[in-house]
Amino acid sequence: MKVLLVDDEKELVTTLAERLGFRGVEARWATTGRDAVALAVAEPFDVAVLDVKMPRVSGIQLKKELERIRPEMKFVFVTGHGSEEDFRIGSAEADRYLAKPLDIDALVETLTEVVSP
Amino acid sequence: MKIHDSQHWQDLSVECLRFFGAMSASVSHEIRNKLAVINEKAGLVEDIAAAMRSGRAPDPDRLETQARKIVDQVQQANRIVRALNRLAHSTDESDATVDVADLAALVVELYGRKAAMAQAVVRSEGPDGGVPVHTNPYLLANAIGLCLGAAVARVDDSRALTVVTENAANGAAVRFGRLAGGGVGRSELEGECPGLGTLLETLDAGLAMDAEGGELVLEVRSLKSDDPGGHQ
Repeated sequence: MKVLLVDDEKELVTTLAERLGFRGVEARWATTGRDAVALAVAEPFDVAVLDVKMPRVSGIQLKKELERIRPEMKFVFVTGHGSEEDFRIGSAEADRYLAKPLDIDALVETLTEVVSP
Repeated sequence: MKIHDSQHWQDLSVECLRFFGAMSASVSHEIRNKLAVINEKAGLVEDIAAAMRSGRAPDPDRLETQARKIVDQVQQANRIVRALNRLAHSTDESDATVDVADLAALVVELYGRKAAMAQAVVRSEGPDGGVPVHTNPYLLANAIGLCLGAAVARVDDSRALTVVTENAANGAAVRFGRLAGGGVGRSELEGECPGLGTLLETLDAGLAMDAEGGELVLEVRSLKSDDPGGHQ
């Protein structure tokens, strides 16, 4: 499984990528929508984990851009906001929606589920 | 002293609660992000320890790096909490002598994430001796916050906004610049922020657009003539 992690908090995505690596999941990361798009253009990913709220581009907008590039890609939204609105949007727009702080085992389980046929 | 009607106080209460809610939501979001990083860093230390137990060569430098990053995140979260705590305590007194430059710096710090989301970088400036004015500290923080929000929404292409506090004839001036185009007028701002007019009236504060300098200017007047700041 190949995962694209996108969050404007670099320490979060780099550490998550490292932890997923310990669990046999290949993860790449980006801190901006532009870098995420460049990665998706360069290589395919099974699933993208996107922060709902980021500067410049929202997770929702980024999902649409990534879908155009990789229509087969699945999406998991992550938020630190925890508002009702975020939950509504996240649940409606993505395959799954998770709240920060993340449970790494729950994340791996979720990733495995969304990429399962 | 002007006597305000019950509608005035009701509008003021709604605005005060809205502002505190907005700041609390922003800060809690930021702290949650810090906790998320701390959570992953601690988890990574566990993963590294587990790998070492399974035979991987010990790597104390890697562990030390992660520990240092956890401490850094804790310090950042602590700074944010301290700022929110200061805002909360600004309600302790309804009139006090405050350093307006210090208060503006506090609001800028609390507004950090909101500004970042709007792709703006905000910094504050003030004179070395501060700008002491006798006023209602929380209401003034609220007014500065509303002006800052309006300024961030209109910041020019540089995406850099400076909040400059300076002494003025009867108190202080807080200047927000530089705004794009002609900036914004008071009536337009009051339309956007329904509580702004009530706040300005209660504080006896003025609001003007310095079109030439591209700055929105909040004019803070001392509510007491014997203001220790020495303003007349």
